[in-house]
Amino acid sequence: MKKKLLALLLAGSMVFGLAACGGGDNPSEKPSEVPSDAPTQNVEEGKNIKVGLICIGDENDQGYTYNFIRGKETATEALAAKGINVEWVTKYNILENSTCEDANLELAEEGCELIINNSFGFEEHMLKVAPDYPEIQFISCTNQASWGDELPNTHNAFANIYEGRYLAGVVAGMKMQEMIDNGDITAEEAVIGYVGAYSFAEVISGFTAYYLGAKSVCPSATMKVQFVGSWSNATEEASAAAALADMGCVIISQHSDNTTPATTAQSKGVFHTGYNNDMIGVAPEASLIGTRIDWAPYFEYVIEAVVNGEEFDQDWCHGMDQGAVVMTELNEAIAAPGTAEKLAEVEAALADGSLQVFDTKTFTIEGKELTSAFALDTDGDFTPDSEEAVFDGAFHESYFQSAPYFALQIDGIEWLNSAF
Amino acid sequence: MHEQKTPLIRLAKRDAMPSWQVWCIRGGSFVAAILLGALIFGLMGHSPMEAYGTILSGSLGKKTAIRQTVKIAVPLLGTALAIAPCFKMRFWNIGAEGQITAGAVAASYFALFWVDQLPGWALIPVMGLAGAVAGGLWALIPAFFKAKWGTNETLFTLMMNYIIIGVVKWLQGGPWEGRPGSQIIPMFDSKAVLPKVFGVHCGWIIVLVLTVVMYIYMKYTKQGYEIAVVGESENTARYAGMNVGKIIMRTMFLSGAISGLVGFILASGANTTLNDGVAAGVGFTAITVAWLAQLNPFAMIGISGLLAVLEKGAATLQTRMAVPASISDIITGIFLFCMLGCEFFINYELIFRGKHKEVAKQ
Repeated sequence: MKKKLLALLLAGSMVFGLAACGGGDNPSEKPSEVPSDAPTQNVEEGKNIKVGLICIGDENDQGYTYNFIRGKETATEALAAKGINVEWVTKYNILENSTCEDANLELAEEGCELIINNSFGFEEHMLKVAPDYPEIQFISCTNQASWGDELPNTHNAFANIYEGRYLAGVVAGMKMQEMIDNGDITAEEAVIGYVGAYSFAEVISGFTAYYLGAKSVCPSATMKVQFVGSWSNATEEASAAAALADMGCVIISQHSDNTTPATTAQSKGVFHTGYNNDMIGVAPEASLIGTRIDWAPYFEYVIEAVVNGEEFDQDWCHGMDQGAVVMTELNEAIAAPGTAEKLAEVEAALADGSLQVFDTKTFTIEGKELTSAFALDTDGDFTPDSEEAVFDGAFHESYFQSAPYFALQIDGIEWLNSAF
Repeated sequence: MHEQKTPLIRLAKRDAMPSWQVWCIRGGSFVAAILLGALIFGLMGHSPMEAYGTILSGSLGKKTAIRQTVKIAVPLLGTALAIAPCFKMRFWNIGAEGQITAGAVAASYFALFWVDQLPGWALIPVMGLAGAVAGGLWALIPAFFKAKWGTNETLFTLMMNYIIIGVVKWLQGGPWEGRPGSQIIPMFDSKAVLPKVFGVHCGWIIVLVLTVVMYIYMKYTKQGYEIAVVGESENTARYAGMNVGKIIMRTMFLSGAISGLVGFILASGANTTLNDGVAAGVGFTAITVAWLAQLNPFAMIGISGLLAVLEKGAATLQTRMAVPASISDIITGIFLFCMLGCEFFINYELIFRGKHKEVAKQ
């Protein structure tokens, strides 16, 4: 009986094995033809393009990568309306090491004409591939090498998210001022707690803008910043938010990926403003508003340029002027009265340039007004050494390069830890 | 009464099987893996033929693809070679991940801070040596405790992984950090980068040489014999006058040193920088490679190659057919499961109740 069983098994497996091997040969040739087909189609119709997107996470993070996926979908629709057909090839959960180099290489080999890297740490690995594919455009979002690497096919992009943070700060400040006026808290108790990922220029620039926004409508506001040492760690973010609330912070905001600071704020009975996503759904009694980058305008712009064979900005940075920074819905039920009107007013002032977020008259450093600060690091020692960022009465953020470079500690903001 | 109690299927240890039969079982399990994988693809709505074709063409279809596949196989093979002597000794070193990382840290130290002090030709050998010594020392710690006090090496080596990965995280955000707050260590100077041979960093030559050396070491040297004896029975080894503690420590140092060398190859050749994911699970996957190859260094070349083909092919599968990465992981899991499972059927046989009757009649 055993022998029969064995014979049956063997016979069966051989038949399937032959079928599998025999069939395996043909398709193996087929896909390899696809990439070589794509470019020729392009020339003929001028309407198709294959774009690669390399993501550090996936859309389940409901934050950073999700935001890119949303941008991708919106841009695809907008381009389709213009008769441009985008085929996306997306790689998820790529690490910031040689796997990123492999991903870039693979997308290049698959015939992508444009490859977008979505995380800061991807750039160095992308730069190992870019020189070998001069006809392919490489983009590293949020990083900064393109102005100095002498490669015409590398690009950077970011959005003036500090504008959105400033506006969120205005919403928070109005809420605090309302609480002061109602006698719920004293003027000194108007303290903001900020959950930051790392003491990184992007984060520092963001919370400084937020603080200045709050201070513009609530002059007595101060801020405490707690760094968590991770871009995304739900538990750490929650404990940082809880610690800040326990220290007496009445508003919590964040530069980290999860919604736990919002839910913690609600459970502690304080208010919150979010980042990357609308957090009213998870914390309806705490979340006032949120801000996020909308990548769609940029994606639309670059893809259209590549399809038409045009050059595009090597270092792109826009904000509310092009809809690259958007505010999520205002939670009218808990926001201070008049917030919506004030928001519209400030937004208009930012757009026409009459209001500068980093206006040097609005903040001090060690009691003194800021008169000089460099923007760019040209010699690779990681300290800015050229391009004066302070002129016309303001620090010009994201002016000389898209990646934020405001990394100064201003008065009124207390860093609870700076180990990260 | 007795008949009723007999289970339908029983297991019994097999006598040595003729080798053609062994290979039939192995071949059969490979086919079974392909079929199970095809079933998964089918359930996900993809053509199994096309999927397997993509795996093959994606990993071996082009020069660039082959290079990437080789790049994946190199650390797997190197680390499998590293843990082979430990496993032969029945010392369960699951700390290769940490030993790789320790080697990468030491190599990176020289790459980052000795670039200008050392002459160009000396930098890479010094990095390699530093990596080997650091990996060896990192492995020596649990070996010392095992030899002296009989601590559990499985837990000890595992815990050592987390410590060294924590150290790298600290270095990344602290003393070795590049741009403030970025958590990224700067890229190495080009002098500290392993040169390429046929488009792949020359780590592949290092591990191939190591394969031959390891084969000779295990098979023809006195030390290799001692390892085998300790693995079979520590008491026998002691009775024969061997210093078991010394053998354990020496073998672990060697194992850690090879892992450390792999760490150097990964940092200098593949990543050209250091980060906390430098080992990226290689230390664990290599255990599977070593086991599947039954600790035979030459078989490890084939197994690590196969796993690299699956990994690279899975990446292409994700790119071309939008198959989620998790499906690729499932397919790899099925292959490993079938291949490891078939070893079970080589060592044990199933006895059905019917057969038992026959035996009873006799």
